[in-house]
Amino acid sequence: MAPFEDLLRELAPPVLGTLVRRHGQFDACEDAVQEALLAAAEQWPQLPGGVPDNPRAWLLTVASRRLVDAWRSQSARRRREDTLASLERPPVSHVDTSPDADADVDDTLTLLFLCCHPALSVTSQLALTLRAVGGLQTAEIATALLVPEATLAQRISRAKQSIKRAGARFELPPPSERAERLRVVLHVLYLVFNEGYATSAGPTLQRTDLTGEAIRLGRLLHHLLPAEAEVAGLLALLLLTDARRAARTDADGLLIPLDEQDRTRWNAQQIRDGVTLLGRTLGSGPIGPYQLQAAIAAVHDEAPSATGTDWPQILALYELLERVSPGPVVTLNRAVALAMVHGPRAGLALLGTLDGDERLAHTHRLEAVRAHLLERAGDTLAAQAAYRRAARMTASLPEQRYLALRAARLDV
Amino acid sequence: MKYMIMTFGDQASALEVHSRDWIRQMIGFMKSLNRELVASGELVSADGLVDPSQARTVRFEGGLPVATDGPFAESKESLAGYWIVDVEDEARAIEIAARIVAFVECPIEVRQVADAPPEV
Repeated sequence: MAPFEDLLRELAPPVLGTLVRRHGQFDACEDAVQEALLAAAEQWPQLPGGVPDNPRAWLLTVASRRLVDAWRSQSARRRREDTLASLERPPVSHVDTSPDADADVDDTLTLLFLCCHPALSVTSQLALTLRAVGGLQTAEIATALLVPEATLAQRISRAKQSIKRAGARFELPPPSERAERLRVVLHVLYLVFNEGYATSAGPTLQRTDLTGEAIRLGRLLHHLLPAEAEVAGLLALLLLTDARRAARTDADGLLIPLDEQDRTRWNAQQIRDGVTLLGRTLGSGPIGPYQLQAAIAAVHDEAPSATGTDWPQILALYELLERVSPGPVVTLNRAVALAMVHGPRAGLALLGTLDGDERLAHTHRLEAVRAHLLERAGDTLAAQAAYRRAARMTASLPEQRYLALRAARLDV
Repeated sequence: MKYMIMTFGDQASALEVHSRDWIRQMIGFMKSLNRELVASGELVSADGLVDPSQARTVRFEGGLPVATDGPFAESKESLAGYWIVDVEDEARAIEIAARIVAFVECPIEVRQVADAPPEV
């Protein structure tokens, strides 16, 4: 990526924030900023030095002009249609060149809350966040999410209409709603990361770096809200999970389970960053699910080997996580830890409590964990059958192949 | 000209009857084929579908659309995955399909994607 692209993406949210505060009309402003970003990507490389003297003012000026153009053509059309209402706004006469740091922080945060508005579907929240806060272009987001560009453009435009219909304003949510709204923002960033990490779709198509983008947005949010323990917890979780990425698949894209990964390929710097961040965070605020998941990831990342892992510690953390944020997937993970501490039969017994749980009816994860535990218990035939059931249930091709290979390995 | 190259049946059964080595080779083959089609500029899209046992069928029954689990019985005829390629002619589409067939040893369907009527 060209260096100026990082700069563009950094500037996108504050420029959009300034524009919206000045003119209202989030949807029109968002389009104008997107066009300004496209114009910059085209024109900046031709400038001496590759970047204008004041890139922020450049973007703001171009976006303002686009906005005025849009209003003019809109009002011209309205005149042609013989309507009375004029939407003409006073033309932009001056341009802010002095960024106000506090306003920037508020604007970017406000944007994030707006893009993750509860009136939107999760897919829309994701797309809009990547564009308005991430500063990504529609085509890039479409490629990353594996949908046609026209579909994504439409999704973003409908999302903005929904925000308008919901009567949302460009302001921070009131204190009474803030915790819940922040929870949604964190969930969206978590999903952006997972989209990139799980690569659950298509057999071939490469994703642009959504994991990197989620981490970038996580850093941004942590910078905006340094005292929020769960924000730091999420960022630590992403860093500690992403640190294992290079070791997670082989040359054919086949998954390698944690206990067979080459730990020398883990990203040591990223692990240090995640552990340091988590160390600063734990105990600084209320404990939450992201901090606990990050703590679990940290125990794995710092272990010299699978057998040298502090499993009792992981089990204790899962027990805590189950109390803070109960759910069948947490129980599933606790069963793995339980098996490592007290043997596979103990884990299998806990899995038994999840049989018939509707929430797991359409995922392969219960059968996949059962298969692993049965294999460890030496029950080869039952393990093979469970691997095969899991292979039929997964929606991920790499996972299906991994599970089929595990089953084939048990052939005698 | 665009062609859809379709495979049928379920992946899971195929994976169950083959050895570990075959599965590994198949993964490598699919990966290099797709890489080649991207490099030649011929690949439009390619996807694998989840197992047919996870499918739902929506039928029109008693005047209403009704969703049921399945089909389970005829998974041999279920679409398993597809490539859409934009190629010079039908011969090239068949050439690609032939390489896949030579590997998976199951029949594959090649069908042209219908065009809009010509402009002139």
